[in-house]
Amino acid sequence: MTVAETLLVYAGIPLAFVLVLALLTLRPGADRRPRYKPGQPWNHAPVWYEPHPATVGGHGPAPSHGPAAVPGSGTAALGSSMYPEQPGERALDANAGAGPQVALGTQDSHHGGATAARSPQAAGPLGGARGTW
Amino acid sequence: MTRAPELNSPRTGTDVGDTLHPRTAEGKLDEVFSFRELARLDEALTMSSRETGLRFTLYVGELATPTRATAEQLHARSGDHPTDAVLIAVSPGQRVVEVVTGAGAARRLPDRACALAVLSMTSAFANGDLVGGIVNGLRQLSDQAGHPAGLRPH
Repeated sequence: MTVAETLLVYAGIPLAFVLVLALLTLRPGADRRPRYKPGQPWNHAPVWYEPHPATVGGHGPAPSHGPAAVPGSGTAALGSSMYPEQPGERALDANAGAGPQVALGTQDSHHGGATAARSPQAAGPLGGARGTW
Repeated sequence: MTRAPELNSPRTGTDVGDTLHPRTAEGKLDEVFSFRELARLDEALTMSSRETGLRFTLYVGELATPTRATAEQLHARSGDHPTDAVLIAVSPGQRVVEVVTGAGAARRLPDRACALAVLSMTSAFANGDLVGGIVNGLRQLSDQAGHPAGLRPH
């Protein structure tokens, strides 16, 4: 084995191996999002998730319980792809303003068919808990 | 679909899945959570709601300053029967989590149980694990609530 061959086998191959592994581990992830750390601001739009309506409870078919907020359709989920935004919902955009600010005085339930179905209802004495971190 | 209607009513977690819902116009669907995390959240919400017969919804975002009052307002519009609804509102920016239970849900989920779930959630949140904390809190709440009378075997 010549010197060049020795170098190639004993230095070149391990080096190539290490480089390949390093590339695989250190390469920037395809969808690496900034991880949440406590104390940093939260700059995302608010989202509100609900369970799948078809599986809520053991009583009866789903549509009675689901987010039946689309006027004229008892089974429509508001965010569903099968039932895209209805004309009546457009009224929300004008009135609702900046989403999550459910202003403390806005008990007016007289705008838009969608919100009429979603108007705040009294749920009796509320319970729950609060926590900070 | 614009953002505003979503905030007047909740939506399902996998609504944003690309197979279910090719809404490309809205921007990045997995902006807040990855699709894998969304699937975890969705399963946790759906399974705990199915097991307990209560309706668990999850709000993640900023809450207006009396956070308790805001969370109660959100709870009032979280579904058709807010009495049996449980709202978990997490505001990572303000580092506040609020659990609101309706009157019917509060009978099966006393405030002490909610406080315990909130405690486990906040300890996970303090470590930066939002989804894990939410999923564990949901599990704890649904364990406490148990099954509805109609589903009980005896």
